[in-house]
Amino acid sequence: MKYMRTASFAKLVEALGRDYDIYAPVQEEERLLLQRLVPGENGGGASVAWNPARLGESLKPIWFQTSRVVSRWTAEGPEAGPTPRPRAIIGAKGCDLAALGIIDKVFRDHTFQEPGWCAAREQNLVISGDCTTCLDSCFCTMVGHAPHPEAHFDLNLSPLEGGFGVEVGSPKGEALVADHADLFEEAGGEQVAARDAARAEMTERVEAQNEPHAVRDPFAQSIEKHKSNRLWEALAATCVQCNACNMVCPTCHCFFLVDVAGEEGSSRLSCWDSCFEGGYARMAGGGTPRLQLVERFKNHYHHKFVSFPKNWGVTACSGCGRCIDACMGRIDKRACLHRLETEWLPSDTLQGVQ
Amino acid sequence: MKNPFVPVPAVLEAVIDETPTIKTFCLKPAEPIPFRAGQFVQLEVPGLGEAPFTPSSSPFEPDRMEITILKTGLVTNRLHELEAGVTLGIRGPFGKGYPIHRFEDQTVLVIGGGVGLAPLRSLLFHLFHEPEACGNVSIKYGSREPAEMCFKRQHASWGERPGVDFTPTIDRPAEGWDGHVGLVTTLLDDLDLDREKTYAVSCGPEVMLRFVTWKLLDVGFPPERIYLSMNRNMSCGMGICGRCNVGSYYLCKDGPDMCYADIKDVPYALG
Ligand SMILES: Cc1cc2nc3c(=O)[nH]c(=O)nc-3n(C[C@H](O)[C@H](O)[C@H](O)COP(=O)(O)OP(=O)(O)OC[C@H]3O[C@@H](n4cnc5c(N)ncnc54)[C@H](O)[C@@H]3O)c2cc1C
Ligand code: SF4
Ligand code: SF4
Ligand code: FES
Repeated sequence: MKYMRTASFAKLVEALGRDYDIYAPVQEEERLLLQRLVPGENGGGASVAWNPARLGESLKPIWFQTSRVVSRWTAEGPEAGPTPRPRAIIGAKGCDLAALGIIDKVFRDHTFQEPGWCAAREQNLVISGDCTTCLDSCFCTMVGHAPHPEAHFDLNLSPLEGGFGVEVGSPKGEALVADHADLFEEAGGEQVAARDAARAEMTERVEAQNEPHAVRDPFAQSIEKHKSNRLWEALAATCVQCNACNMVCPTCHCFFLVDVAGEEGSSRLSCWDSCFEGGYARMAGGGTPRLQLVERFKNHYHHKFVSFPKNWGVTACSGCGRCIDACMGRIDKRACLHRLETEWLPSDTLQGVQ
Repeated sequence: MKNPFVPVPAVLEAVIDETPTIKTFCLKPAEPIPFRAGQFVQLEVPGLGEAPFTPSSSPFEPDRMEITILKTGLVTNRLHELEAGVTLGIRGPFGKGYPIHRFEDQTVLVIGGGVGLAPLRSLLFHLFHEPEACGNVSIKYGSREPAEMCFKRQHASWGERPGVDFTPTIDRPAEGWDGHVGLVTTLLDDLDLDREKTYAVSCGPEVMLRFVTWKLLDVGFPPERIYLSMNRNMSCGMGICGRCNVGSYYLCKDGPDMCYADIKDVPYALG
């Protein structure tokens, strides 16, 4: 581990501006918001705030924009869409990075690659940080993650007296440290111990706050068990189908392609989509496989906790809790998963998850 | 690796009227698009959108592609208005294709409904090209009326091939029709086929697939020997946009032809 003083961190951020568009948490009155740093406007390195826990919005759009031109068809014929400039992201947390690993499975690590995602994963720089507090909705530890980054960062910061412990997570991070050797020093054994103690304490805090939601069986088991159970109807009763849970989720990756004609030819956009939408799976002729909201609600859980692990070997949830905070219907995923294990409302009106 | 969102341009060389609502589009892609029978492509009308179709032509002729299309909505309506000469886009191929490797020494029972015969024609081209790939081929084809039948020009030659029988049927009696009348399922009642040495491959509207499956199970086919070309809304075609799932399967990646044994426990799999 390295050590970096707080003042050196500001210098490092300034230096990054040469190669990257920088996105970092900035204090805006009461709120911490992820902002693009524009020197002269919202300042440079000095305006970066430490976010003690994950931010309100997910960082997903940094790598996977809400809508992106994936290809174009001009007089010259079809061509790939543009790649955005490299971005440096400061303030990513363990759950944010776990989510990157989850989407990697689909967008990068199989037969077909999502070129925009792969390019962004390759060229972007991530400076993450340990969580120094947790929000009420945080449950990373329930889904196998931790309140500190375990992978997918270039540098990770752990707050210590007067500065940060710095862990190097990639060759890109290594090069960064080498290029700015004057900003870093070797950390001592006590500093490493202090970091580890802080991490252990945070992990315990997250575990303790989720004690009431603790389950015995794997989520997949309790979801599959409820093939025909009115409990799903009870769980979905307050869902108003606003799609917020999908939109804030760092692991949701559904999109659809839309072609748009323009003056110089046409563009194909990949746009975020939501499985809560009634028309999401509508087929030609109007048929739709999950007509009722409760079926789409179940599909969301089934996808995250049953299908995704089956297909990709990991659960499609990083435990960030954003869907809990965003839900107008006050639906708490942890509570739902808990009830699925502990309650039973038999019914034959529903066939189960599709 | 090639960018999977960028289509290959393909010139529309000819359009064949099959029925009042179905046309076959003969395309010449800028580069050959090798595909296996049953794999599908996304066909794009530039600036309008794309839709998934399974080529109906021979997989042994990858420099030409024929796609047989029912007029039913935004993209297909526009396609039906097009004339030879325009350039379209093709992405793919996607999906697994028919399990031809299982067909050796087996009878292949091909059951098509309406435009569903299109993907199956590509399979037939494969099996006719490589007769050693399977044993006998029995084709059952249902249409609403004689005018709604695809590939009429080829039916006779198919039926004349050694080891091949072709039986068409129409839903209701029609003037000038002296063939079988009744839903395609009625052709499955008295099958003289060894259930343990036959694979059934079916493509057509969802209701048809449902009734065909029930009938096949009824007459003793094991679920492992029933393959269905399933239909779902598809966008990316490559298992990443999420929308075409049937349970834990993505039809675009794991199908579109699915073994009934794999999907039988998925609720609403067949509507
Ligand atoms: C694997 C597979 C193979 C197929 N093979 C064949 C075949 O060989 N022959 C054949 O005739 N049919 C085939 N089909 C069916 C064919 O894909 C549909 O008939 C076709 O998609 C209809 O498209 P449409 O735009 O004309 O219809 P629409 O009803 O207008 O659209 C169908 C779907 O496309 C989406 N869509 C339409 N417009 C837009 C838009 N503006 N923006 C975003 N989404 C939109 C919608 O989600 C809609 O549910 C196949 C389907 C699949 C899945
Ligand atoms: S499902 Fe909810 S808790 Fe899980 S990653 Fe998505 S937003 Fe976060
Ligand atoms: S955020 Fe809540 S109300 Fe909105 S779609 Fe999701 S579950 Fe339903
Ligand atoms: S069409 Fe995108 S996942 Fe199947």
